[in-house]
Amino acid sequence: MEVRLDRISRPEALRYLGLRGAVPGDVDEDLDRCEALLLRTIRPRVTWRRFDLLPDGTLSGTAFRPEGESIRVLLRGCTGAILMAATLGAEADLLLHRTQGKNLLDAALLDALCNAAIEDVCDALCADLAREFAPAFLTPRFSPGYGDFPLSQQPLFAAVLDLPRQLGITLTESWLMTPQKSVTALMGVSDTAPASQQGGGCTACSFSDRCLYRKKGTGCARS
Amino acid sequence: MEMNRINGQNHVTLLDGGMGTMLQQAGLPLGVLPESWNITHPEAVTGIHRRYVEAGSRVIYANTFGANPFKTAGSGFELEELISAGIRCAKEAAGSKTQVALDVGPLGRLMEPLGSLSFEEAYDAFRRILTAGEAAGADRVIFETMSDLQEMRAAVLAAKENTALPVWATMTFEASGRTFLGVTVPAMALTLSGLGVEALGFNCSLGPAELMPLLRELREWTDLPLILKPNAGLPDPVTGAYPLMPGDFAALMENAPSLGVRYMGGCCGTDPAFIRELAKKRAGVEPGADRPSRRYGICSARAVAETGRVRIIGERINPTGKKRMQQALRDNDLDYILSFGIQQQDAGADILDVNVGLPGVDERGMMIRVIQGLQAATDLPLQIDSSDPAVVEAGLRIACGKCLVNSVNGKKESLEAILPLCKKYGAAVVGLCLDEQGIPETWEGRMAIARRIAEAADRVGIPRQDVYIDCLTLTVSAQQSQAAETLKALSCAKKELGVQTVLGVSNISFGLPERQQINLSFLTQALYAGLDCPIMNPNQNAMRKAVAAFRVLSGEDAGADRYIQLCAAMPDVPPAAAAAPVPAESKTGENAAQAAGGSSLQEAVIRGQGSEVVRLTEAALSQKTEMEVIEQELIPALNEVGDRYERQTIFLPQLLRAAQAASAGFEVLKARLAAQDRPALSRGKILIATVQGDIHDIGKNIVRVVLENYGYTVLDLGKDVPPEEIVETALREKVPLVGLSALMTTTLPAMEKTIRMLREAQVPSKVMVGGAVLTEEYAREIGADYYARDAKRGADIAREVMSSLAGNGEPKE
Repeated sequence: MEVRLDRISRPEALRYLGLRGAVPGDVDEDLDRCEALLLRTIRPRVTWRRFDLLPDGTLSGTAFRPEGESIRVLLRGCTGAILMAATLGAEADLLLHRTQGKNLLDAALLDALCNAAIEDVCDALCADLAREFAPAFLTPRFSPGYGDFPLSQQPLFAAVLDLPRQLGITLTESWLMTPQKSVTALMGVSDTAPASQQGGGCTACSFSDRCLYRKKGTGCARS
Repeated sequence: MEMNRINGQNHVTLLDGGMGTMLQQAGLPLGVLPESWNITHPEAVTGIHRRYVEAGSRVIYANTFGANPFKTAGSGFELEELISAGIRCAKEAAGSKTQVALDVGPLGRLMEPLGSLSFEEAYDAFRRILTAGEAAGADRVIFETMSDLQEMRAAVLAAKENTALPVWATMTFEASGRTFLGVTVPAMALTLSGLGVEALGFNCSLGPAELMPLLRELREWTDLPLILKPNAGLPDPVTGAYPLMPGDFAALMENAPSLGVRYMGGCCGTDPAFIRELAKKRAGVEPGADRPSRRYGICSARAVAETGRVRIIGERINPTGKKRMQQALRDNDLDYILSFGIQQQDAGADILDVNVGLPGVDERGMMIRVIQGLQAATDLPLQIDSSDPAVVEAGLRIACGKCLVNSVNGKKESLEAILPLCKKYGAAVVGLCLDEQGIPETWEGRMAIARRIAEAADRVGIPRQDVYIDCLTLTVSAQQSQAAETLKALSCAKKELGVQTVLGVSNISFGLPERQQINLSFLTQALYAGLDCPIMNPNQNAMRKAVAAFRVLSGEDAGADRYIQLCAAMPDVPPAAAAAPVPAESKTGENAAQAAGGSSLQEAVIRGQGSEVVRLTEAALSQKTEMEVIEQELIPALNEVGDRYERQTIFLPQLLRAAQAASAGFEVLKARLAAQDRPALSRGKILIATVQGDIHDIGKNIVRVVLENYGYTVLDLGKDVPPEEIVETALREKVPLVGLSALMTTTLPAMEKTIRMLREAQVPSKVMVGGAVLTEEYAREIGADYYARDAKRGADIAREVMSSLAGNGEPKE
């Protein structure tokens, strides 16, 4: 399903660029220009499905049992789960590839804007889903590759959500997604308000003692 | 032949409907390889096929859609076993009146350049699938749900070259009229018709109503029978349910035969009830009387250069007489070569000529690399320009879309070598009006050769619309009468032979003053004589405007909109204005630059003013050598930029802007050295790569540009690079420094492995590593010599490594 994106979160883009404090005026103008170009070029698409959680943790009607301590904590008390995926499409990859050959500064700005844009698309979808499933509660989204939710389960995401057909997403040998600016994630569905912000923040993350982002003090996109 | 016996020419043959959803209804859990049921639940698979045959399907698709080496690896089943079981299940249900198609879907890996699957890897995977399918007794092969035209090309070529299976091909489009990868309907039609598929069309993604406009467009671009297998409408985003009932679906499909559809069925959301309804409606359908006028042209995956209007062929990717281009070819400097493609596209070229022939350069390998690079960097269709048939074939094989081949001529040997290649790959061809006797002096003589070429093309099955005759431009200062003969031959060939015409225009003026006057006049006369494709430099504004003016006068540019736009974008500059100073490109850092107290060239680099840097670099060369300009101007400026970046008084954007400005200065130095046949400057070689498994390369590319700015020769192996290739290149090229990048935690082991293999192979290079998830500590842990937290640090490390080498008395590059 195609979704509209009218603007891209600027603070998030600046964070990816490592820009702190006052932004020089011409950088701001360049970002405006690149944002307009990006919004003209990309066609963000999303897809999702809701499943019941079987007692052994398998999603109903599938062969997908999400693994790891992070997910076990996330889904505590949940009766269902939603798988979601979002992408900025091959248009974004092609634009980045081509811009790198012409103007590396623009490419770096566009890359940061893409990272912010895909988060914006996911945030908007999650907000829609929260409304859709109210009065049930949704946990924060959690993506493979974070915590101990293994990236090796990406092929199951791809198969269950039919990602090649629905969004044009395929996986590399090392389970990275192409187009690159794509996200898969899982959310729990629960009838009661979550006791804590499951899945949110480093303290809830079972990977935190080994996490390199955390060691660097930068934090990952989930923290 | 078999089909004809079943169909007769004017019948519609019914295909089957969805398989995936039927299997799920039968109990297949999502996430389990559907093809495994061919072995574990053959009766269920055969049962579904049987229901389709009973409903009226006369060609059924075997349950082999995802049976490919990538998807079946680790499934516990052999690929060949899954395929032969799939064909067997279908054959069991088919009976005598129904054919079984080997069904082949996308491989599920993105191909180069955006992904890492190469054309050869895709071809080999398809070959395995196809030979297994043919051996199992499939009647034909259907490639479906493809969204990458290059993947489809690999599939079709693998079928044609390794099996006798008739080939059907359908792709999946969005309502925008493009596939997920941006392929257009005309591009699909021109490319696949050219490759000799038996039928083509659409499947999946949209419903019948949404596919009708695309079907009309498809029909304009091909004479082949069309295939239509839509979904049961557009799925509800919440429930995933498809809205169309079998009767509605069949009603919406009723019109399809009149649009050229000869094979129809359903895709996602359809079942045997849909086929039964189609069978009912089909009775009495009279297919296809309203044939639209056919359209022709050449194309890339995303753009078509259509016949019937003037198309500019950009001539600049050609080393003849261009020393800097020759240098770039010898150095394998693809970025420089590709920049000519990008510039010409921006300047309005419709087609790019690609000539990379230079003594001492592997023309075949270079042709492949340049074509792949151009097709990633631009959308333009290509003209493959080589006198070596092996190079032409290599180019045709790798180029996605339908190319123009430059060229064949009237010599028997040339016709026999080139025309069959054009036919095989579905290319159009340029025919030069010369033969064993040379270039005829009269227009009649050239016409005779043109006729011979067109007739030879007829014989191999290349239509006249794909023959582009070049009546040859001779230098008017040497053979004055020839300009008129060329134009007369051109106009005659166009009228009498029904071919396209092409002509290089700038040769006309050699040896005369103010050459552009002659070129412009000749170009204009040639266009009025019927020239379709001038081969020219679109970066010359006057020439480009002359073509634009012609398009106004011929009526092609309706309302003169494009002409007006061009003139607004590119006004004729009065001489006084041209002498004005170059406008500043950046407003940042002016005060800072003054405070630096450097030269004006240094200030221009720091401010990121590219065109000012070019001007000042040229000026500096009157006082200094090239190396002095680098060491006394560019590098001190970059160091200043780097220091400010470290102090966080400037940030990444300004650093990059300065780096790009310095690059522009370096380009001046390189061009000067090449023009004087002097060797290129280098302060040492550095190999960089993004490690295996990782496809994020922007950080590495930034490091490359910064290192090049410091005068190093950077061998960039790209992304997802196997450790073996890095070790081998480091040894062969004797690089003192290897830079590795990885963005993901999951690809850090590949970085560690690469370093281990470099050490084991006793590669004497130092290793620096960088990437978002790395730390100084981790870099040490995996055995790296240096951790480059950013590009600036990378440059510092390079200086340290290279100067320690120089200190040891080892020779510099």
